[in-house]
Amino acid sequence: MADQLAPRLDKEDLRLLIAEVLDVDVAEVTDDAHFVDDLEVDSLMALEITVRLEKEYGVRMQEEELESIRTMRSTYDLIERKLRETS
Amino acid sequence: MLIPIEGTWCLILGASSGMGRAVARAMAAQGANVIGVHFDTAAHEEATAQLVDELRGHGVEAHFFNVNAASPAVRAELVPRIAELSGGTGLHVLVHSLAFGTLVPYLPRAGWERGITHRQLDMTLNVMAHSLVYWVQDLVAADLLPRGSKVYAMTSAGVTQALPSYGAVSAAKCALEAHVRQLACELAPREVAVNALRAGVTPTPSLARIPEHTEFVDRATLNNPHGRLTRPEDVAEAIVLLSRTDSSWITGNTIGVDGAELYAAGGAWNPHRADAAG
Repeated sequence: MADQLAPRLDKEDLRLLIAEVLDVDVAEVTDDAHFVDDLEVDSLMALEITVRLEKEYGVRMQEEELESIRTMRSTYDLIERKLRETS
Repeated sequence: MLIPIEGTWCLILGASSGMGRAVARAMAAQGANVIGVHFDTAAHEEATAQLVDELRGHGVEAHFFNVNAASPAVRAELVPRIAELSGGTGLHVLVHSLAFGTLVPYLPRAGWERGITHRQLDMTLNVMAHSLVYWVQDLVAADLLPRGSKVYAMTSAGVTQALPSYGAVSAAKCALEAHVRQLACELAPREVAVNALRAGVTPTPSLARIPEHTEFVDRATLNNPHGRLTRPEDVAEAIVLLSRTDSSWITGNTIGVDGAELYAAGGAWNPHRADAAG
């Protein structure tokens, strides 16, 4: 099952998507760059990221999951887990 | 001249909850077609779909877009859609009801580790105030605000009251009211009316996000001489009423829709007061 999902969630695609929403250079979106502390993400950009992720990956974020969207790495882990749950 | 609003088109920015939602329902009930812009996570999908169904139940067209109304790219995409949907007749009503900003003090204080950032302050002003100007610019350029149309923006008593977390939003509301006056003058030759509506304290999801809301909701409930808070439906009714004319003479105002809450002296109108005094 994980093999089937693998093409759907690509880390570099995700990085590009986040860089595009935040309007920053993709090199700035390192695995551990903190969205708020390092990339100055405000609540509107956080909502943009969430809505884009939901549309792109067909997942639905719960309120308590939003705090996991804080770095590239934690976001990737969250989506991977959600895709596993829904498959 | 008084006119029916049946068959006209309205664009509501912030249409999925609170005042925008109430305006959508009231306008549809009067036979107006509704274009709604909202920005929500998927958790709100069903509620919005239900709202759209309800609006269409009135026999009107309802089109909702889940996008960021403050984004230039979104405006560029939606303005031609609005022209297309309205069949070129344009809008009779534009409602700016975007309640999205950063609710933190300017300086660190107990309960808040950090003060507001440059970016948060800019975002709040941009969404809650400046986006009105940009929408009007683009709608006028596309000839979608014809003679007799109405523009409404939602302000609050927070323009002259300070709360620890409300600095940026208060600044945005001040800017919004100034934008309304400026646009009213610039749109006068086109006979388009622009007004700000100052609702009283109104229970909405946005109000619930203000950290200090419990304290002032309690006080406002006691303070409003009507003995109740403003409801989103009160604001919607005001918009329907003011839109039933092609006149642009009521323009450039901040209109209170608060049951006289702003002018009631603190605590004096509390219905329990007489009892307390014996």
